[in-house]
Formats: sequence, C-alpha cells, structure tokens
Amino acid sequence: MSVATTTLSQYRAQLRSNRLGLWLFFISELFLFGGLLISRFYLWGGTRPDLDQRLGLIVTSILLLSSFFMYLAEVGAEHENRRLFLFSLIMTALLGTAFLLGVVIFEWGGEIRPWDGAFGAILYGMTGMHALHVASGIVLILIVAYNGLRGRYTAERHWGVEACAIYWHYVDVVWIFFYPAIYLMGTVPT
Amino acid sequence: MSDKKRAAYRTGIVVFLVVAALTAVEFYLASISGAIAVLFFIALIKAALIVRYFMHVNRLWTDEGHE
Repeated sequence: MSVATTTLSQYRAQLRSNRLGLWLFFISELFLFGGLLISRFYLWGGTRPDLDQRLGLIVTSILLLSSFFMYLAEVGAEHENRRLFLFSLIMTALLGTAFLLGVVIFEWGGEIRPWDGAFGAILYGMTGMHALHVASGIVLILIVAYNGLRGRYTAERHWGVEACAIYWHYVDVVWIFFYPAIYLMGTVPT
Repeated sequence: MSDKKRAAYRTGIVVFLVVAALTAVEFYLASISGAIAVLFFIALIKAALIVRYFMHVNRLWTDEGHE
C-alpha cells in the first residue's frame, strides 16, 4: 500500500468522525433554537406580531435560494468544477448578506422594539440568534472561498466545503421553522 | 457531463423547486388561516428534504462522497 493510499484511507476514516462531530454540534444547537421556538409558542400562543408579510416571504426565498447555490458549490467541489464552485459560493455569500440586511435593516427597522413586551423579546431573540448564525456562516463561506482560490480542495478531499455547506443548510433548516412561527402562525391581535 | 454529476444537478433543482412550492403553499394557507399544525407539518416536510438531500444525513452511516 502506497503512502498516498494510506493517507487517503486515513482521511476517509477521519471524515466519518468529522461528520459525526458536526451533527452532534447541530443536535446541541437544537436545544438553543428549540428553546426559542418553544418560548414563542408559550409567550405568543395563537397570536403573532403585525409584521410585513412580503418582507418575510422575500427574505425566506433569498435564504432558500442561497441554500440551492451552496448545494451547487458542493457539487462543483465534488466534481472539480472550479468555476461552478467559486461562483456558487460567492452567490451564497451575497444572498446570505441580502438576507441579513433584510432582517436587520427592514425587519428590525419596523415598529416593534426589543423592549416591546413578549412580541419584541421573542422577535428579536429568534431573528437575532438566527442572524448571528447567518453572519458566522458568511464568514465560513469566505474562508472556504479563499481556500478554494488557493486550490486547497480536490474531489477526494474537500471536508471544509462539505462542513461549510452542511452548516449553511442547517441555518436554512432553522429558518424553515422560524419563518412560519414568526410570520405565519396565529393571528394578529386587534 | 457524467451521469453522477447530472443526477446531482437534478436532485438539487427538484429539491429547491419542491421546497419553494411548499413555501408558497405555506404563505397561501397562512393568508386564509394561520393553522399552526398544518404549517408546522409543511415545515417538517421542507426540513426533511433539506436534511436528506442537501445536508446528506445518510453520509453518517455510509461512505458516500469524497470518492
């Protein structure tokens, strides 16, 4: 067995541990986001704040589209399509930034403030914690893009890309539950 | 383009379109009734699709990827 083969087999063995570790991290994060979601139902019940529905749909669509581009970036890395990989990665970062700006500038710029009772506390708690994860995801994407530009990933070895992609999709999954909980479920009190 | 690559593209596009359609359904249902159970069920389906096809949860128990 050659040195290169041994190294690759070691890499694949390590990959299994890496994946398991990342998913365990996600499970720990579930307690954080799950707690926020439960707080929403406990404090808001069958009501919700009067938020801009179009804005909610737009930022949700942007995040979903970013998830699609992140998937393409991973496909690009897996098949050594450098152009697809880098283009999709940059698109993901741009869309993620657009999502972040949509929440921070437009949603947080609305009438509700963090100190406005249960509506303000939960709205800012949920969107703030999620936005923090989006921001950290964008930083990860930029690091992966930098490494990609320096040719540090191959079809056989691109755990950095895979981990970044899975993290980004996880952030999307969290929003899949947060979006209806914040914008759609319940009625606006009159 | 290899069959594997073509299949990967197809999977990504189909999952994206289905999740986008379910989001539109959510939005429509909320406009006529904010039924929590129905909206939560749709969110579960969307999350399951992302976890299975975009996050490759099955790679935890297979050696898929990085071949």
